[in-house]
Order: sequence, then structure tokens, then C-alpha cells
Amino acid sequence: MERGGQKGYWLDLGLIPYGPAFVVQERILKARMGNGFPATVILQENPSVFTIGRTGSRSNILASEDELERRGIQVMEVNRGGDITYHGPGQIIVSPLLYLGDIGMNANQYLHRLEDVLIDLLSAFGVKGNKKKAYPGVWWDETKIGAVGIAVKHGYTFHGFSLNVNLDLTPFTLINPCGVSRMPVKSLHQVLGRHVPLEEVKERLREILMDTFSLSLQGLSLEEVEEALASRGT
Amino acid sequence: MKHEIVVPPTADGSAEITLVSWLKEVGDSVGMGEDLAEAATEKITLYITAPADGILQEIHVKAGEKAQVGQVVGIMSD
Repeated sequence: MERGGQKGYWLDLGLIPYGPAFVVQERILKARMGNGFPATVILQENPSVFTIGRTGSRSNILASEDELERRGIQVMEVNRGGDITYHGPGQIIVSPLLYLGDIGMNANQYLHRLEDVLIDLLSAFGVKGNKKKAYPGVWWDETKIGAVGIAVKHGYTFHGFSLNVNLDLTPFTLINPCGVSRMPVKSLHQVLGRHVPLEEVKERLREILMDTFSLSLQGLSLEEVEEALASRGT
Repeated sequence: MKHEIVVPPTADGSAEITLVSWLKEVGDSVGMGEDLAEAATEKITLYITAPADGILQEIHVKAGEKAQVGQVVGIMSD
């Protein structure tokens, strides 16, 4: 869709392990910092993985190594803000690679704007999300449905937020999500009582992100992004 | 010449920032803009970068300690 605002890319990696997806994110971040590669929003779904952010701890994993192996859940320490969370199929993870100077915000303002994006996205499905002051992220009633966790380098943002759409929430019982014991979690599927097509969520999200950050996001495949990176020598 | 290494204003509004780790050691040569340390609020990871080319001379805030925006966490020298 053509519209005004800063031109950027919309890169949907689909279902992809966390590690390779992060390599793509790092390459684009480096290109943004080094040679002005356009703002890019990366979407992904991960096979089951617990990620532990910079203020997190493995002590928030309640399951044994054997149980994690039996369930096929990987554990990775990552450089986003926050503690431990779960990612799996049916959850969308969104990493806007923006420049804070372009959007006129500091990191805290940006983080809270991402929560607003999640609330707007839920609203598009008739669901009222809300914020809790002491608990970052987005909540439905007293259950957490969306998480935020970002990193900033030289004013450039990476990592971002996730939304439980059709995610099997069982693995959350194996951790203290975000370091909080027995924190209740929810999915959009549970709230609406129906399967929600991810493509529908993504298209709504794209509109909201373009409006929120005055972006014009062109959808590109990974191959096309690779070509764009190569053409800039990165 | 000495250069102060400070927590960047990117984190304005953060009540509490923890210096998570130093990525360089005292005595290391560092280029301007290079990552020196990682700091984090509850949900934000911030990179503290070198203000100039030079050598990391002093560390004032150790890994695991708290810091504030604008605080000098270390010193570099030419």
C-alpha cells in the first residue's frame, strides 16, 4: 500500500528458529547504523523456545533439562530487555528496526508506544487491552496477552514485542514469565473463542505501525532484503 | 585528554538502570562509537558507547551496579 511517511520494509520471516532470525535482525541493524538501510519491521514465529533477556535468570525456569528436551523447548540468552518468556508457533514476534531520532521519542516513550500498538491491534479484533503500571506489556483483564522487550544501540531500536494469537500457552507453566511467579497468560484465540488467522493479525498490525510511526512499509521477501543489503555492501 | 563515559539520554525517564556488563576491560583500545557496556532497565537494553578513540582507563560503575542517565560510569583517555 502506498502512503506518505518514511519508506521502510516489512519482512515476514514466517516460522523460523530464533537464532537464524536474530542473525537477520543483526545484519539489518548493522546496515541501518552503518549506511542508512531503511527502517525495517521484522515479523517471525519461532519453534518452541524460552528466551532470557538481559535482566533475566535461568532460575526462572521451573522445568528440568530432561523435561525441556522431552518437550523440545530450547533455551536462549538474548540481548533484549526483560526476563524470561516463551515463544512458539501461533505467536507473532515483531521487531521494528527504527531510529528514535526519526520518531522523536526516547527509549521509554517508544516502549510504551509499542504497548499502545498492541492495544490498538487488539482493539481491531474487538478486544480491550490495557496496561499495568508495574508490569510492562499488554493485558486482557488480569492476564498478559502481549509482551514488550527492546534494545537500543546508537538510537537504533531492535527486538520489540510479541502477541499470543493461537499460541499453546502450556509452556508458560514451566517458567516464571517475566520473572513473575504464576503470572497468568492469555491468547487472542482464548479471548475470542476462535482461531485467528495470523495473516489477518499481521495485516492489521502493518496498518497500525504505519500510522503510529508515519511509515510506508513495503513488503519484501528475505531474498529481496538480502539483495538490498548486498547492494549496499553489507 | 580524558573523556567521560556516560549513560546515554536514550533512557530518559527510567527509574532504575543496571549496568549489566562491561564489554571491554581497562587498558583496552576502543574506537569512537564502539560498544563499551550493556545497561538495562526492566524492559530495555541500552548500549553505552565510546565517546572518542582511546583507551578505557577507569571503570566507576561495575557490572551489576545501578546507574542513572547522565552518570559517569567510566573514563577513557586518548
